[in-house]
Amino acid sequence: MTVLAGDEAARPPPSRLPLLPRGAGLAAGLVVLVFAVLFVWPIVRLIATTVFVDARGWTAFATIVSSPMYRTAFTNTFFISGLVTLITLLAAYPIAYFMATVQPRTAKLIAFVVLLPFWTSALVRTTAWMVLLQRRGIVNSLLMNTGITDAPIPLLYNLSGVIIGMVHVLLPFMVLPLYATFLSVDQRLIAAAEGLGAPRFTVLRRIVLPLTAPGAAAGALIVFMSAIGTFITPVLMGGPRQMMIAQAISYHMQKQLDWQMAGALSLVLLAVTLVLFLVYRQVFGLDRLVAADAGVAGDPDGPLRGVLGLGRLPAGIMAVAVGLFLIAPIAMVYPLSISSSPFLQFPPARWTFDWYAKLADDPKWLRAALSSLRVAAEAIALSVILGTAAAVAASRIAPRLRAGMEVLILLPMVVPTIITAIALYSQYAPLGILGSPESLAIGHTILAAPFVFITVSASLKSFDRNLELAALGLGASWSAMFRRIMLPAILPGILAGAVFAFITSFDDVVLSIFLTNSASRTLPRVIYEGIKDDTDPAVVALAAILITISFGAFLLSLLARDRRA
Amino acid sequence: MRMASRIGAVGLSVLLAAGTVAASAKEFVFVSWGGAYQDAIREAWLKPFMEATGTKVTEETSPETAKIQAMVTSGAVTWDIVTDGGLGVTRGAKAGLFEEITPEMVDQSGLYPEILNKYGVPSEIFSTAFAFSTEAFPDGKPQPESWADFWNVEKFPGSRALFGQPQSVLEAALMADGVAQADVYTVLATKEGQDRAFDKVRELKPHVGLWWTGGAQPVQAIGSGEVVMANGWNGRLQAGITEGLPLKIVWNGAVAEVGYFMLVKGAPHRDDAIEFLRWVTKPESQAQFHKYVSYGPTMPGAWEFIPQSEWGRLPSSPDILKQSIFLNVDWWLENEAAMVERYNALMQE
Repeated sequence: MTVLAGDEAARPPPSRLPLLPRGAGLAAGLVVLVFAVLFVWPIVRLIATTVFVDARGWTAFATIVSSPMYRTAFTNTFFISGLVTLITLLAAYPIAYFMATVQPRTAKLIAFVVLLPFWTSALVRTTAWMVLLQRRGIVNSLLMNTGITDAPIPLLYNLSGVIIGMVHVLLPFMVLPLYATFLSVDQRLIAAAEGLGAPRFTVLRRIVLPLTAPGAAAGALIVFMSAIGTFITPVLMGGPRQMMIAQAISYHMQKQLDWQMAGALSLVLLAVTLVLFLVYRQVFGLDRLVAADAGVAGDPDGPLRGVLGLGRLPAGIMAVAVGLFLIAPIAMVYPLSISSSPFLQFPPARWTFDWYAKLADDPKWLRAALSSLRVAAEAIALSVILGTAAAVAASRIAPRLRAGMEVLILLPMVVPTIITAIALYSQYAPLGILGSPESLAIGHTILAAPFVFITVSASLKSFDRNLELAALGLGASWSAMFRRIMLPAILPGILAGAVFAFITSFDDVVLSIFLTNSASRTLPRVIYEGIKDDTDPAVVALAAILITISFGAFLLSLLARDRRA
Repeated sequence: MRMASRIGAVGLSVLLAAGTVAASAKEFVFVSWGGAYQDAIREAWLKPFMEATGTKVTEETSPETAKIQAMVTSGAVTWDIVTDGGLGVTRGAKAGLFEEITPEMVDQSGLYPEILNKYGVPSEIFSTAFAFSTEAFPDGKPQPESWADFWNVEKFPGSRALFGQPQSVLEAALMADGVAQADVYTVLATKEGQDRAFDKVRELKPHVGLWWTGGAQPVQAIGSGEVVMANGWNGRLQAGITEGLPLKIVWNGAVAEVGYFMLVKGAPHRDDAIEFLRWVTKPESQAQFHKYVSYGPTMPGAWEFIPQSEWGRLPSSPDILKQSIFLNVDWWLENEAAMVERYNALMQE
């Protein structure tokens, strides 16, 4: 980590180079306008018309500060989010490393495993975890049969339950950005260092870690911000001691109809998170991290492969362990889906395909699946355009403006989803566009754009500006340069962002409840309505089908590659 | 593309046709919580009503009070009837979301008088009772019979599951502490009574293995052996029994609650919706719902249409109602925020 801000100041700052500053300013302005109209204005209006309508709005803040319940909830929120971020970081490094140093086919398999959790909804995942982790569950039986423990270990309804559930679902957000930076590591540097006699540890510390740091920083930012807003997993897998602030906000918003308290809590959460973000940005911000000049990158057989030496074996074992952790609850979905018990007893009294038949009988599932795909496709397209434009523009404008722009674009990750949902609802209702899949797609675009922004910004860091200058200098138009030079370089970041956009859209329940109706409602909403208070094993059968489809798509993509080769 | 646009055109004309039909016919929009509950409402009431009157009912789901509030505030009301429990009705009514139901609109004189609410028509009665595992406490051995037994961890050892919110739990705690059913809310109204209830919950806390948040959790937890006793919603507990899980419901000290149908203020099809509310409050209609979910009718007159063999699982049947109390909605509305905060703090201790 030697080539940091200090060294950078010695070089001429790249932003002084004539790289279409006016275009960048225009693009930045457009992005800011879109965010202001579609997101900031509805939120500000909602808060202004609910929190600060009378004196009680102000006393709400005093209540928050004085109440031990809210203090605990805030402490929990930041402690759990931090812990989850740390664990995902440690777990993601070996996986991302192997993805970058194995053959593309194996890398694809690993990516498939990492993305598995998203084919099930949060509620189905939780159910599967319950079967695995409960007192008489599979994990405890294994531990006791092998004599590791005498009595069952309480793994659920406490801190371990929350951590397990959250790490499981947030791990991909760390792995993909890391993988993208591993791909762009200039492996000649490793070869050079080794050639000059640098010991292995030094190579790791001075070259591999700094060069992958932008990916780690991007992943940590995404995981931490997402963890702060997590709602369902702590409710179902944690105990009362793990209550997080999103839960309290939702309770006041939906149960108590106390929008003043909910708004005040959100403002406090927002303020604390923003302070943390600015501190983080100062230390690990994308600005501060070294810009790698990608040379010979992405070669799975390059020197990166040997960089761990004998350490490759333990790292491999760790990666496999993390892979098993990701797969275990997903694999449980299959036996659960043919269990006769609607209360998901395991092992069940008998096996049955009734739940699959139930799925086929009711057209609502297929309709919801199609609606989900449509919304997701639109949200991916829009958020990729918006997020990429924002990232490219932000990298070209004055650093001071850039900080403001980053905050603005990351806001949707921090504002609790229930607040966003109600703000957007109030905004859309008079316009008469409520209920259309597009109104939800716009909402998801806002939620997903920050992910694209972060991943693309991270890959822009390793984009060699000299190539851009050369192309422009040789007479290429900016758009030709973008298409032929920049786009291929930042494509891994864009793809990671697109995957995150899909996940964001495909896993959202709250916005869907507010912005769709029974004709346009999405799959997660139908699933949520089926098993919020009830049990509907049809949703488990549905998860099994989705996993199978994604596995089929994965196999097809392997075949397609074979034919081309 | 041409194919797609042709399909679009056909779809559009179908929509337009549907629009013209709907404009002249009777219709309303009904919104409930989806899942098995809404399935039951559809079979018991919506379908027969549609057949008998020719009304077109459009169903929607997730009538979150916050969404109704946003709907009413923005002046774009598209829903007619929504459903919720007593607290939801009263809280929504206070926020001005529901229309008052007068005797001229719906005659409710035949209903149980203690469950009437100015802003909602009682549709069914459900209960929070407790169930125990018959594997842990089999027939022929001592079995728990009261809240006092639920609290008695010496006589009935094992982990318990309790609702993660104080509603009905504070009542149960007082009953376990020896308060007579009739006096529960007089005691709970005092500071000392509240302390007494919370102390009693605190006493059981070391033995609470799960504070449940979703209705299926307590059933799942007893079935899997995670806990030996749990309080829970009777419909879910009954579904577990039907499924063959080893559990038994104890009705003594059950806390009954009421489901309501409300008319949203500014409902676009108000008159057709009111006609449906009248339909639901007929004794014959009230005798249908139990066939699909184990919830009881809201009027005494319905029992003559329900076979005696079914009475034992329905929370409002005469024998069970005698051993139950009704959740006091007014008291809870007044005290919920404070109680929830204190309950959360207790759970986190």
